[in-house]
Amino acid sequence: MNEVFQRTATAVAIEIEDLEYGYQPHGVMALGGVSFAIRRGEFVGIVGHNGAGKTTLLKTVVGLLLPTSGRVTVGGVDTRQTTVADLTTWVGFVSQNPDQQLFAQTVVEEIAFGPRNLGLSEEEIRERVAMGIAMTGLEEFRHEFPPALAKGDRARVVIASVLAMQPEIIILDEPTTGQDYRGSRQIMQIARRLHEEGRTVLVVTHDMALVAEYAERAIVLCRGQVLLDGTTATVFSQPEVLRRTHVMPPQITQLAQTLPPELGLPTDALTVEQLGQAVVERVGQRRTDVFYPRTDVFYPRVPLKCRDEGRDV
Amino acid sequence: MKATVQYVPGKSAFHRLDPRSKIVFMLLVTFAILIVQNLWVAVAVLLTLVLFWGLARLPFSVVADLGKAMLGIVVFLFVVQALLYPGKTALIQPVIPRFVPFIGGRGQVTLEGVLFALLLSLRLLAMVVVLPLVSMTTPVHILTLGLVRLGLPYRLAYTVTTALNLIPILQIEAGVIRDAQRLRAFQVFEKGGFLDKLKAYPPLVTPLIIGAMRRAQLMAIAMDSRAFGASGNRTYIQDIRMRAGDWLFIGFSILYAGAIVAMRFLVR
Amino acid sequence: MRQHKGQQEPYIVFDDVSYRYPGSGHAVKKHPYVLKHVSLTIHRGEFVAVLGENGAGKSTFCQALNGVVPHSRGGRMRGRVIVGGQDTQQATVAEMAQQVGIVLEDPEAQLFTTSVLSEVAFGPENLGVDPGEILRRARWALEVVRLTGYEDHPPTALSGGQKQRLAIAAALTMHPQVLVLDEATSQLDPLGTLEVFSVVRELNEQYKMTIVMATNKGEEVAEFCDRVLVLHKGELIAQGTPREVFADTELLQRVTIRAPQVSQLALYLAEREVPADKKRPADEKHPLAAGCSLSAGCSLSALPITLDEARRGIVQLMRGAD
Repeated sequence: MNEVFQRTATAVAIEIEDLEYGYQPHGVMALGGVSFAIRRGEFVGIVGHNGAGKTTLLKTVVGLLLPTSGRVTVGGVDTRQTTVADLTTWVGFVSQNPDQQLFAQTVVEEIAFGPRNLGLSEEEIRERVAMGIAMTGLEEFRHEFPPALAKGDRARVVIASVLAMQPEIIILDEPTTGQDYRGSRQIMQIARRLHEEGRTVLVVTHDMALVAEYAERAIVLCRGQVLLDGTTATVFSQPEVLRRTHVMPPQITQLAQTLPPELGLPTDALTVEQLGQAVVERVGQRRTDVFYPRTDVFYPRVPLKCRDEGRDV
Repeated sequence: MKATVQYVPGKSAFHRLDPRSKIVFMLLVTFAILIVQNLWVAVAVLLTLVLFWGLARLPFSVVADLGKAMLGIVVFLFVVQALLYPGKTALIQPVIPRFVPFIGGRGQVTLEGVLFALLLSLRLLAMVVVLPLVSMTTPVHILTLGLVRLGLPYRLAYTVTTALNLIPILQIEAGVIRDAQRLRAFQVFEKGGFLDKLKAYPPLVTPLIIGAMRRAQLMAIAMDSRAFGASGNRTYIQDIRMRAGDWLFIGFSILYAGAIVAMRFLVR
Repeated sequence: MRQHKGQQEPYIVFDDVSYRYPGSGHAVKKHPYVLKHVSLTIHRGEFVAVLGENGAGKSTFCQALNGVVPHSRGGRMRGRVIVGGQDTQQATVAEMAQQVGIVLEDPEAQLFTTSVLSEVAFGPENLGVDPGEILRRARWALEVVRLTGYEDHPPTALSGGQKQRLAIAAALTMHPQVLVLDEATSQLDPLGTLEVFSVVRELNEQYKMTIVMATNKGEEVAEFCDRVLVLHKGELIAQGTPREVFADTELLQRVTIRAPQVSQLALYLAEREVPADKKRPADEKHPLAAGCSLSAGCSLSALPITLDEARRGIVQLMRGAD
């Protein structure tokens, strides 16, 4: 593909410099001066009210839109000096509506669509398809017609198809909207796995609990500009600022923030486990004979003993 | 293609006409256009329609876009008619050698053929311009009401006018899907040849149709849930009224269409 | 905070309802019956949430309330659905529409006119209501959803929250007794969601409208709903107050519905038996809230489901431990 992308050379995955974008030449600017840099390997949540410019921002990163002014650099290359197709090997984009991204008759063909367009050999295409299917757990759906699958499965097909292009950066635009809890979890687990493999992950979402749990950093947009940019803990510790862009910290963080400080519990707790752990350490004694579930399991698996009567619930 | 034939708010006289008179105008003129045989009459009709367009203060860019959209068909027409029209004044001698079965000896391009093709193209363009004249100066629900007052059952009228709304939706949707394909390194629409582009349409069509079907199903549920088609005596909060100007316009339309038809028989 | 509305008369009754969609496509072959032997009662004025995974039958359930299922969707229905005394299979969808209004998930799909006013007028126009009366209803409906002044706006120019409020208004002009929301906030941002919920709450509290809401958002359920119905693979597998349902850990394991985070916290702590002080007498209230916080065996009043309850519980727990 494009030799300009020196994958090992740049530490900065995406650099946005004074980006401005307006859909109409003399109309309101969708983005009015946005600047930030995302290093390789970060997991970033992008939040903000509807119309704040989140989707517009994503489109400039993948090259669908070019800046009205300012610069967008992906993998060291200015998006104005390359094509959308060339950028696809560097940054993959899963949009809000998976139905608009399914073109083929079978799941396998769908995943192969991208690699085929990249001109890879049949052998390589087969490998990429296998990898995509393995990554997203779609073995049983290989030969299904993608639009006939359930919502969560369709979303995973699109993710697999994007992964088959082997991009360094994965962008998920509202991946959990319209998904049930199980589907949302599945998708976020995939995102986490990608992150653990070293990829850069960007997620645009309204679900603050997800941002708090999976992302390390949050960029908050408000009316086309960056309102806050920092670690998720730092960002969620400013609810009054977040309110301006109609964002609230997850319920558990709100709880932590409103507890009396003398209790000694972390006011910046981001997950149920974090706050729960702190309470346990302050109050309870850890039992050694009980299996404590990992953080990405939904609910307690152990039958809970009613302490008063000693029976299983 | 950016041409959209959706309603453009405005205050021109054309906008203020009752939809019934506009519909009648459209039907009469379309009928008349189908009758035209004379090239000069065709030119005159097209010019007057463009004049109306200006009177309605509609953007001429749309006419240009409509013309561009028709270009493919026009070229096709030209080629077919120019070659096959039994004319007398040959411009280019037989192209296909005589020994070829069935079409041997044909392929001469005649002047008459070229002129006929031109006539057809002008007629086509005129027809394509008439509908937007009405759809762009009339809000959809008023148009529906006009059809109902002219005697169409409500559900049928609604179906007809809803089709107008669908065009821009499908255009936007197609754009979104094309973008999604570009994001999978699909470059045929940018770099491919004509044949490649043709082959590229099926992958685009599937998501478009499925999306349209899903949306249609949801719309149907929403409409049923609001009692669509329930009563034979549907009421309307906004009614329409024929005024003097409307009758004048209808009278004018009859005369106009009549003149075009008369030309057919008077001028050869 | 919420009165016990179970004493009101039954308004919606599902009597052993089973339903299958028409056709033999892949999805239908795998799970033909989308609703299986569902029997339940909803009382007048209740605010009921319907929880369940995608594909559990929530949308079908919602559409069965106004007769879209089975009339518009086809397929086969067994059993009866009675709303306000009307059997949905005997009445037409248009007749049911005057009893039950429905708001769908996708704001775009259910708005199809060119102005807010014509959108809310669409329903009553279809019924042949007198234009003067329609305008009166429209004015009232727009006031309730707080869109007064937007009459001439094209629906496409509205925000997500505004669109859904418009959809509610469009249903209200039919003067329904029941409002059904089929995941109506899943595509909205937090502000839009809040707007919609506050309108719906007002309809429930002030206008005594019966509300049935299919949703995935545990926190909203906890705050607004009197009762929760849990659907799983077409069957009603649980029902109860939000507190009862979110305390049922076995259910939560089986169905993966999203409980409010504060409830998840309580379950986390309870599982680790915090505090583990075995010297406490048996009738000592569990510190996380009044009464044992889990399971069908203990008094169920106690699982915290809102921020306030959780805060009180934690404070009590921590201070009690010192």
